[in-house]
Amino acid sequence: MSVSVKRDQPDAEDNAAKREQTDGEGGATVEDPGAQRGSIGVDSWVAQSGERRDEGAGWRRVLAAAEARLGWWPRLALVAIAGLIFAQLSTNVNIQTVAFNSLLYALLAMGLNIAVGWSGLLDLGYIASFGFGAYGYAIFSSTALGTDGSGGSHLPAIESILIVVAAAGVVGAVLGLIALRVSGDYFAIVTLFVGQAFFEVANNVDPGTFGGVNGLFGLDPLHSFGVTVTTPLGYYYVALGMCVIVAAGLHLLDTSRTGRAWRALNDDELAAQAMTLSVNKLKVMAYAFATMIGALAGTLFAAQQDNVFPTNFTANILILIYACLVLGGVGSIAGAILGGLVVTVAENMLGSPTDAAYLFYGLIIIALIAKVRPWRRLGWVVAGVIGFGYAMHAIVGAIVPSATAGHPGSPGWIGSALKGYVIVPSNPQNFGNALYLALIVGLVAIVRLRGIKQLIAVIITIYVAACCWEGRLIVNPAITTQIMLGAILIVTMAARPYGLLGKHRVETV
Amino acid sequence: MALLEIDKLSLAFGGLRAISELDIEVNENEIVSVIGPNGAGKSSVFNVISGIYKPSSGDIRLGGESIVGRKPYRIARLGIARTFQSLRLFQNMTVKENVKTATYGNTKASPPESILRLPRARREEREVDAVATEVLSFFGERLAGYRWDQPAYSLSYANRRRLEIARALATRPRLLMLDEPAAGMNPNETLEIAELIGRLRDELSLAILVIEHDMHVVEGISDRVVALDHGVKITEGSFEAVATHPAVVEAYLGRDPEALAEA
Amino acid sequence: MQVFFQTFVNGLTTGCVYALIALGYTMVYGILKLLNFAHGDVYMVGAYIGFVVLEIFGGAHDLSVPVVVLLFFMFVAASLGCGYLGVAMERFAYRPLRNAPRIAPLITALGISFVLENTILLLFGGFVRSYNTNAFIPFSTGITIGGVQIDLVQILTIVGSVVMMYGLWLIVNRTTLGKSMRAVASDREAAEMLGIDVNRTIALTFFIGSAMAGIAGVMTGLAINQITNTMGFLAGLKAFTAAVVGGIGSIPGAMLGGIFIGLCESYSASYISSQYSDLIVFGILIATMLVRPQGIFGQRPLQKV
Repeated sequence: MSVSVKRDQPDAEDNAAKREQTDGEGGATVEDPGAQRGSIGVDSWVAQSGERRDEGAGWRRVLAAAEARLGWWPRLALVAIAGLIFAQLSTNVNIQTVAFNSLLYALLAMGLNIAVGWSGLLDLGYIASFGFGAYGYAIFSSTALGTDGSGGSHLPAIESILIVVAAAGVVGAVLGLIALRVSGDYFAIVTLFVGQAFFEVANNVDPGTFGGVNGLFGLDPLHSFGVTVTTPLGYYYVALGMCVIVAAGLHLLDTSRTGRAWRALNDDELAAQAMTLSVNKLKVMAYAFATMIGALAGTLFAAQQDNVFPTNFTANILILIYACLVLGGVGSIAGAILGGLVVTVAENMLGSPTDAAYLFYGLIIIALIAKVRPWRRLGWVVAGVIGFGYAMHAIVGAIVPSATAGHPGSPGWIGSALKGYVIVPSNPQNFGNALYLALIVGLVAIVRLRGIKQLIAVIITIYVAACCWEGRLIVNPAITTQIMLGAILIVTMAARPYGLLGKHRVETV
Repeated sequence: MALLEIDKLSLAFGGLRAISELDIEVNENEIVSVIGPNGAGKSSVFNVISGIYKPSSGDIRLGGESIVGRKPYRIARLGIARTFQSLRLFQNMTVKENVKTATYGNTKASPPESILRLPRARREEREVDAVATEVLSFFGERLAGYRWDQPAYSLSYANRRRLEIARALATRPRLLMLDEPAAGMNPNETLEIAELIGRLRDELSLAILVIEHDMHVVEGISDRVVALDHGVKITEGSFEAVATHPAVVEAYLGRDPEALAEA
Repeated sequence: MQVFFQTFVNGLTTGCVYALIALGYTMVYGILKLLNFAHGDVYMVGAYIGFVVLEIFGGAHDLSVPVVVLLFFMFVAASLGCGYLGVAMERFAYRPLRNAPRIAPLITALGISFVLENTILLLFGGFVRSYNTNAFIPFSTGITIGGVQIDLVQILTIVGSVVMMYGLWLIVNRTTLGKSMRAVASDREAAEMLGIDVNRTIALTFFIGSAMAGIAGVMTGLAINQITNTMGFLAGLKAFTAAVVGGIGSIPGAMLGGIFIGLCESYSASYISSQYSDLIVFGILIATMLVRPQGIFGQRPLQKV
């Protein structure tokens, strides 16, 4: 069996003969059908090596294979069905609200994706679109336009939302026109200040008319066509519907000439211009669309919340939206939805001490499994962590009894299990602070050391982390949430710069 | 009347005169090559024609109509397409998408039409697909079917050059400008490119303006050659005439006082 | 008239602080094309380091060392602490992302911001801490020119900042390190191929920028007394404005931009309204962007076509 090596530049006569034998696969010479797939030097196999490399390993290949099998529409249908099933299963109002929030963030991320992911316009003022929509709905569907808390326009939700979204489109287009003057990073800066300005205005406006610091209340719930939405479950259904419709619309747009044009202008604006694309108009359109979707999410938010405050639209929220998009994968609609889900769930888990403990310890375990190989070494590390911990607890307890007098902060079975393990003094604040600093030192050590020293550092650091968590961090869940969120962002970006569902990109500087 | 008329064109960057009083004409069904040493202003001519730079003086006319001062995308829509010396593909888009994108100016479907897949949008998509297929087929085996869904960044260098030409063709130009199409190609690839350019002129009746350094290519394809140096046209004519012209020889190889003394 | 000059002095002081922070932004942007949004929080950490030093030496009302010694240690601790913090940030968070899409470091910076702000919150609690400078440097010390009161702390801030800016100018323009920094900012790959230790240069750039921000933090603590864990956000934003208005990537630009923004803020607070002074500053930014997008000393990026 011989396999002929086909060079990239053919010899004219040779080729004519060989082409007779081709199987239609781009000029591959097939001597032995069985050898075709793995034959080295076959033109198409070589050509597709890049794809195989990008496929990644493990779960990502599974995902990519699934993606290739199912079309986009079946996948969207699956997501929608999953969403509906979820609604049937859950009865807990809190969970329904969390689900609503994740869909809201998914919607916001999808809108942001148009500007950032597709068109490459870094819109750091996106929060203003969200706010515009929310305040717009608040003004039209409440007593805000009336006098002294009565009257006002109580437009039906459909009208309110349509007016606000349309207005957002106009405002977005105008701002886009202004931003045309500046490019790249400078555009980002201008939008950043637009967002900041929105907050300042909303905050400083006369409380009597548009709420000011006090916000606006008593908003009408969504009601149209005789249906009024009042329960969290109801709002969840509305949000699910919105997400599905917007996702579908955006996909249709992405696969059309406009979507191609946006992505082209992201890749190389100059070349795009030379290829007949009216770049400025496209940028304004992208910005307008993003603003409209952000505003749409804003109206839903306002209706569900029943009130709006300036503090709903701070830079922190903008950061969360960006986190959703980037974690999920910039440029991907599915990524935006996944990101919205992941970030909202993580944020909520971190809010409750029990769930936070699961997340914290769960992440440590996952990190160990992912990073410490082979399995035998992992076994040693786990043994070391357990042994070291109990040993330290016993030693310290014997020397300074008050040092172990406190109770671990985690509620439930975790706390009880760790009682004899972690060192928690009766007054853990200062000790906890010291442990926190020790934890940072430990993390640095892990990265800098190698070999056996690294493993020892890992063991000690995990124990310190557990003690710190039980004694200090768990006591202030609000602060801990933020720290964990920040840490998750840092680590995720370092590990997967393209996000979970993002595709490998090449950027020309 | 020539399709492209460049009339006393001048371009200055501050004190540097990149182009001085340039006159060039290109007709349909004709390949005009622009040659000259590096820094002669050749790419600048392309950039002025495509609207990236504004000339300091002079006129450029396409089919009798002046195009000076128009935006680049308008000029592209009027029928001038180009490739770039240092490839400028849409790297993260697939081969077929790169080509399809260039049909933007010839399609009209608005976003709402696209989203709702109204008849006009659907019809245009079919046409766009047909154009892309047709243009890519021009390159035969090289940009064969299985490559169409690969991202552009994964293509080999020669294929990237070909893709750029394909993309330019998708705009349905009247004038095609190729900036060093054979740069960096080995002899076999160079031969193919030269054949291709010839086919473009014959089969598509294009007017083609080519910047090229490889004299074999210039010799093989040109109907006329224009030689530039320091932004000034030093001569014009058939390849033989230009290649042996003393001023051209001097520009490339330097002065030979003895030869000049003899002449 | 007196108000005019008093406002000037106040504005100049704030402006110097902004300039110090802005320099960090601009240097990092110049060398990595990265907008380090966590830089404002480095400034905040510096203020807290200074506070810790103050407490170690007995606190504002019960100092165990002369004021000069105290100030010395405060500045040294803040600059070293923040400097190393900056180096750590670069090493662990930004270096893995050297070749990632530009939005990834942005998210990382936001993550760092979260961690820093909340770490301080965790360690120091939610209530505002105060330097109580008046207890060890009374307001009365200082000079008075024609009714305009210039506080010792203000003098310290202005003089100190000018000295540091001059020092930075010397480093960038007269030393090999400065040359390396300019080279790496120009073309990182080429600099690497010419034997410049790019990683070290970048690390040093972060060190210097962060150290200056740390010192700026201590100065603010001394001048304004109150420090909170969120003070970095707004100050960072304004310093960022300053860097951009001056021309991001340009060191003289950051210096002048900072002082300019400080003065604008001071004058708008005095003569227009302190509530809207922030908005006015942002308005200046937008105006600059529209009129001269690259800033005063900035250069438009060149494109070879």
